[in-house]
Amino acid sequence: MTTQQLLASLRDAWNGRWRSGGVAAILALLLTSSVPAQSVGLPTPRLLTTMPMGGQVGTQVDITITGEELDDAGEILFSDPRLSGTPKLDGSGQPIANQYTVSIAADCPIGVYETRIRTRLGLSSSRIFSVNNLPERVQKPGHTTVANAMELPLNSIVNSVMSGRSADHYSFSGRKGQRVFVDVASRGIDSKLEAVVVIGDSLGRDLVVERRTGSLDYTLPEDGKYVIKVHELTYQGGPAFYYRLALRELAADAVAVRQPATRRVNAFSWPPEGLSEQAALAEIEPNNTRTQVQKITLPCDISGAFATAADVDLYEFEARQGEVWWIEVASERLGLPTDTNAIVQQVTGSSETEMLTDVAEFSDIPHPVKVSSNGYAYDGPPYHAGSADVLGSIEIKADGIYRLQLTDLFGGTRNDPKNVYRLVIRKATPDFAVVAWGLHQELRNGDRNAVSKPLALRGGTTQALEVVAIRRDGFNGDIELSMDHLPPGVTAQGIKIPAGKNRGLMLITARADAPRGLSFVNFIGTSSMDGQTVTRPCRVASVAWPILDSWGEIPSPRLTADIPVSVSGIDQSSITIAPAAPMLEVIAGQTLTVPFNVTRRCEFQGASAPLRAIGCGLEAVKALEINFSSEKAEVAIDTAALKCAPGDYVLAFHGPAVAKYRHHPEAVTVAEAAKVEAEKTVAAVETEAKQAMELAASAGAAATPEQKAAADKSLAEIAEKQKAAQAVLAAATEKLKQATATAQPRDIVDIVVAEPITIRIQPAEAK
Amino acid sequence: MMTQLLHRRTPWAVWISVWGLILGGSLAEAEDRPISFVNDVMPAMTKAGCNIGACHAKAGGGRNGFQLSLLGFEPLDDYEQLTKSDRGRRVSPASPDKSLILLKGSGQLPHGGGLRLKADGEGYAIIREWVRQGALYDKPGTPTLATFTIQPQRGTVPRKTQQQLTAVATYSDGTTREVTKQALFESNDSSMAEVSDGGMVSIQDLSGKVSVMVRYQGQVAVFSASVPLGAPVEQLPPSNNFVDDLVFGNLKELGIPPSPVCDDATFLRRVTLDITGRLPTEEESAKFLANVAANKRDLVIDDLLKSPDYADFFANKWTALLKNRRDDASDTISNFAFHAWVRDSLLANKPYDQLVRELLAATGTVIGNPPVAWYKRVKEPKQQLEDVAQLFLGVRMQCAQCHHHPFERWSQDDYYSFAAFFSQVGRKPSATRGEDLIFHQRGVAQMANMKTGVPMKPAALGDVIPAIPPDVDPRLKLADWMSSPQNPFFAKSAVNRYWKHFFQRGLIEPEDDIRDTNPPTNPELLAALEKHFIQSQFDLKELIRVITRSNAYQLSASPNSHNLVDRQNYSRYYARRLQAEVLLDAIDRLSGTQTDFANLPPGTRAVSLPDNSYNRSSQFLRVFGRPEAESVCECERVQTSSLAQSLYLVNSAELRSKLADGKGRAERLAKEDRPAEEKIRELYRVAYSREPRSDELQHAIAFLTEPRLNAEGKPLDTAQAARENYQDLIWALTNTKEFLFNH
Repeated sequence: MTTQQLLASLRDAWNGRWRSGGVAAILALLLTSSVPAQSVGLPTPRLLTTMPMGGQVGTQVDITITGEELDDAGEILFSDPRLSGTPKLDGSGQPIANQYTVSIAADCPIGVYETRIRTRLGLSSSRIFSVNNLPERVQKPGHTTVANAMELPLNSIVNSVMSGRSADHYSFSGRKGQRVFVDVASRGIDSKLEAVVVIGDSLGRDLVVERRTGSLDYTLPEDGKYVIKVHELTYQGGPAFYYRLALRELAADAVAVRQPATRRVNAFSWPPEGLSEQAALAEIEPNNTRTQVQKITLPCDISGAFATAADVDLYEFEARQGEVWWIEVASERLGLPTDTNAIVQQVTGSSETEMLTDVAEFSDIPHPVKVSSNGYAYDGPPYHAGSADVLGSIEIKADGIYRLQLTDLFGGTRNDPKNVYRLVIRKATPDFAVVAWGLHQELRNGDRNAVSKPLALRGGTTQALEVVAIRRDGFNGDIELSMDHLPPGVTAQGIKIPAGKNRGLMLITARADAPRGLSFVNFIGTSSMDGQTVTRPCRVASVAWPILDSWGEIPSPRLTADIPVSVSGIDQSSITIAPAAPMLEVIAGQTLTVPFNVTRRCEFQGASAPLRAIGCGLEAVKALEINFSSEKAEVAIDTAALKCAPGDYVLAFHGPAVAKYRHHPEAVTVAEAAKVEAEKTVAAVETEAKQAMELAASAGAAATPEQKAAADKSLAEIAEKQKAAQAVLAAATEKLKQATATAQPRDIVDIVVAEPITIRIQPAEAK
Repeated sequence: MMTQLLHRRTPWAVWISVWGLILGGSLAEAEDRPISFVNDVMPAMTKAGCNIGACHAKAGGGRNGFQLSLLGFEPLDDYEQLTKSDRGRRVSPASPDKSLILLKGSGQLPHGGGLRLKADGEGYAIIREWVRQGALYDKPGTPTLATFTIQPQRGTVPRKTQQQLTAVATYSDGTTREVTKQALFESNDSSMAEVSDGGMVSIQDLSGKVSVMVRYQGQVAVFSASVPLGAPVEQLPPSNNFVDDLVFGNLKELGIPPSPVCDDATFLRRVTLDITGRLPTEEESAKFLANVAANKRDLVIDDLLKSPDYADFFANKWTALLKNRRDDASDTISNFAFHAWVRDSLLANKPYDQLVRELLAATGTVIGNPPVAWYKRVKEPKQQLEDVAQLFLGVRMQCAQCHHHPFERWSQDDYYSFAAFFSQVGRKPSATRGEDLIFHQRGVAQMANMKTGVPMKPAALGDVIPAIPPDVDPRLKLADWMSSPQNPFFAKSAVNRYWKHFFQRGLIEPEDDIRDTNPPTNPELLAALEKHFIQSQFDLKELIRVITRSNAYQLSASPNSHNLVDRQNYSRYYARRLQAEVLLDAIDRLSGTQTDFANLPPGTRAVSLPDNSYNRSSQFLRVFGRPEAESVCECERVQTSSLAQSLYLVNSAELRSKLADGKGRAERLAKEDRPAEEKIRELYRVAYSREPRSDELQHAIAFLTEPRLNAEGKPLDTAQAARENYQDLIWALTNTKEFLFNH
């Protein structure tokens, strides 16, 4: 909103034209935008786009990348060894900036893969690279009318970027009765495009439109040419609004399969360990009414569907007093737009005299932590680890017949057999699933960069992940968190998810002198059940795009396929706060003073910053006050006040501090050297020119025509060299200017995390 | 029981007995028929207008603390008000003439409402006698009003004649009483018929159908009059379908000769504007006019209905009524999605009942199921019921929230029973601020009557709905009821709304006020359309098809010597000013320009705009009455003319810039090297979808060839003169009624 628009809005408000909501919105906007918000988080490498966004199995494809902080972009890495890439070379064998040749092995499965770039700051964030089995092409911009629609062969994929305020047009020819499947992949491959797909006649007049799923399954009404139109729901566009459109011809009885997509965050809790890929039983329709109820025996594993509007699926089983059965349904976690509701009722009487008594009702699986409300100020992570699926238990109070009713609370008017579910009823099988994401700080700032930054560590940095658990079937024990296969110089310290709770932390620290490195780490949660150690992988989630203004954009998080941890080896943290000793002991009831060493590498705004305690059981420890002019800090821990039971506790601190960060200062040195070198070259060429002039002058009139011609040629060549050297110098000067500007101190809100320390609380001696 | 209690408790009963014994006065009067509070006093007060909204009706605030139920629907409450509140000073049994109700009502004491009860009038006498008898409430067993009728109920009444109506009340004990003097009479069209307090109907000069609503003690009756013109109807256009049978039959009965069927060019322009909200293209006009097929009008209707322009235009209509309003940037996605859902549903010709079902019973997320966005706009169950009733049933329930509907049979119980269908709408927060996920919250649907506190189970406007189990979304049951072929409102409301779209006047007017007391002007036609719509499985395109294929729709707008004043019998086409969006698009077409709408693709038509937000940046849309989507009433769209509109068309900067646009039509025509006549023909074809008449052509050629002078009186150069000539000619065409109106 421009100032003029704001003023106009305010004028309207004064004139009484706006409802109170409108006025509130303006005021909110003014309040939030009156002071430019500082950016949050030090610069971090991000791969934002690739073009194309995928390729065909068994081929090589040249891609061009864009991103942030991709200085010195090097190696390209994928989450599967069957994908590999090398920098693309120009005619002289030199790498072309930001271009790579990707090889897709013939045995690479169709799917989506993580793509990342190694940079001076470490490994970048990921962008999805899709692999499919159709020939691919790239759409050039400008196909935005029926007249200049891009011709698209059947059974091909086109990669494209949507421009704002327009619709991309494609044309294809088909026969009457031919079934075509137009499938646009966008949200599922990290794009911001909310795709609208239209098939129109040869004049572009809409025949059929799909705005919800991005795919159209259409049988052509007659022979002829057709136009496919794709646009964003609200006609947004730009580099972030890319898509892959697949046009397939399908047999009449074929199943239309969508292009592969990433998984939602809440899919981390599905499936339960050991569940077979296919359900043992299938739902048998009709099972909507009392007389059609489907009889089952427990335990069971059933696949079903909310296929028709207001579909009710009834299952009936016998159970005996004292039995406890766990019911779990997955549907939303399969990526579907459903909201399963399960009701268990005891059935007494028979047929007409039948009586139903509620035993239990299950709806959502609660989010383990408060989820962001997506307002301006940060008030929770934008990751939904809960689900609209069902997980709960019933305790049978009396022998008898019980009926389970499944409905889709979102399915009252919808007919779509693709809305399937998997129903599992089992005896208690205690278990857990864990997922992690970047820990953010409660801040009154709309910048959410920090929640999507990769684990690319500067020397002396500690980065924290928030870890949450979904507990299954009554499991209530501690979940220890650990990470291994870390790069050299990197340590990881888990803060457990304690019994009965759902949240823990993982702190990953790179030593100040940690060498440049990269590892794909193993992150696990461990617990003990019935004397057995149970280990479960911890998935990591991220947000596809850095969000600079959370007021204007809803994040779209997803699970990542792997967990890379990298170390810059070049850049260092703005500040390092490390405990003087890795472990300290204290007797319960006494107060312990914990000293920290502070290494500050740049200036900070203000004199000090308080860091809040994080750590299981120690959250109430008072803040660690960091004085920026001191190399020491300390905090007192009153174990009496904390009332902690004896044991080992991991304690860390975190909080925001405004660093005057200098980005890529070494580039200034390099640029200075380059400039000096360029100046030398210029000087050398000028000397050479001077000598040549003198030589030519000395030869004077005595020179033969051949000698004169040679001298003229030499002078011309030297002039060219002079010109080239001047150009190099100008470029070097400009680069130095840019590097110097980039390296100027800039206020950035850094989320500072202190290295963790273990506090061992010894039992007090009995009096 | 309450009556008994009240009766026992009232001190007046005791007091009057004592008073009678002591004074032994007026024995003769005491022996008269006891005055009933309900059957005598309340009608007298209602007739006097005491309990209307502007005076002492509680619904209107009740002036000076004297709060009566609107039109006397709650006699028990009114009795309390009269006899007990304000220290009981409103009635004075000891001295009835000193009762405040009489002193003020008769003007003996200052009264803001003026003289309502003449001291020698019947109302005064009734109230006085009631007070004199002790100001008692009716004893148990007092007869109650059973039925109320008006005689005659219908009739044919010649113009400029009178008809006396007689109101008859029948009581629970079988007795009847003529209550003409106590009843209230109201004409639904005072330009056609006026009615006196005493029930004398005076028919005016207009012919057609008129009705008089008569109210008495909470009941209503209607007198329907057919007022014939009586002109000879010798020639009627051929009948294309049942619409024609019934429209022309009615005209014949009334003696109103219809105008002839319009010419092809007029028809094409009219039907294209009415179905797609745009002018026909030159190509369409040429093709249609050259077509000699007998059924070419039917074919063009089918083509228009197949086109996405139809979906765009009707989505524009429906989304405004469904309050697709943008108040915040975060509404953008939901508004686009909702508009698109309506538009795509119309394009796919989704049956109307299914469309309404998906809206009413929407669940899920806005992106996954866009009709959920309606629940973002309309959050409260009461608002939901009111909007649904008015929009899809043509029933205005708002009054019944607080009191019995004054013109209708709907009580507060009806209101809250209907609201109960929406009582189990569950909400969960979504990722978008201000936007909820919608689902059915398991539980027994019910809503408490605000007045009585009694929880009401779902019931649908006079129909009993079987008990709805807690697992079943009651909104689905409402949708079932609405789409039932027996539903008395659903199909009727839709066909009446669509009829109005094409004929400018509903068979029931206003189109969303269907009630017994507001009868249709052609009930047989309304019933036939309703039946046809139901039989077609609620096919909206078929409804449009049957309407627009009729010769009744295709009549000329030019009146004959008899039907100029007819505004309700469809004896000719009633011309209508183009709607704001349609007119803007038409001006763009004629001027060869394109209005740019923020963040939408260039070329987006104004009728395709997804919500009201574009009104802010378009003065044109505001001036010409594009609605802000705040109401379910079509009346929010302003179709009246205004000075601002005239000034806008005459001399607005926007219009001038369109005319002078460097890529516009005027510029092109000025530069093109072809005969002026061809260019003039092009302009007429675009503006009017017809060729110019010879006189128009001559005038235009003369205008274009006139020498033009600049401000100093010197001749303009040829190019500039040509440019200005064509700008002026387009400006002139734009300002003609033939362009501005669909006719």
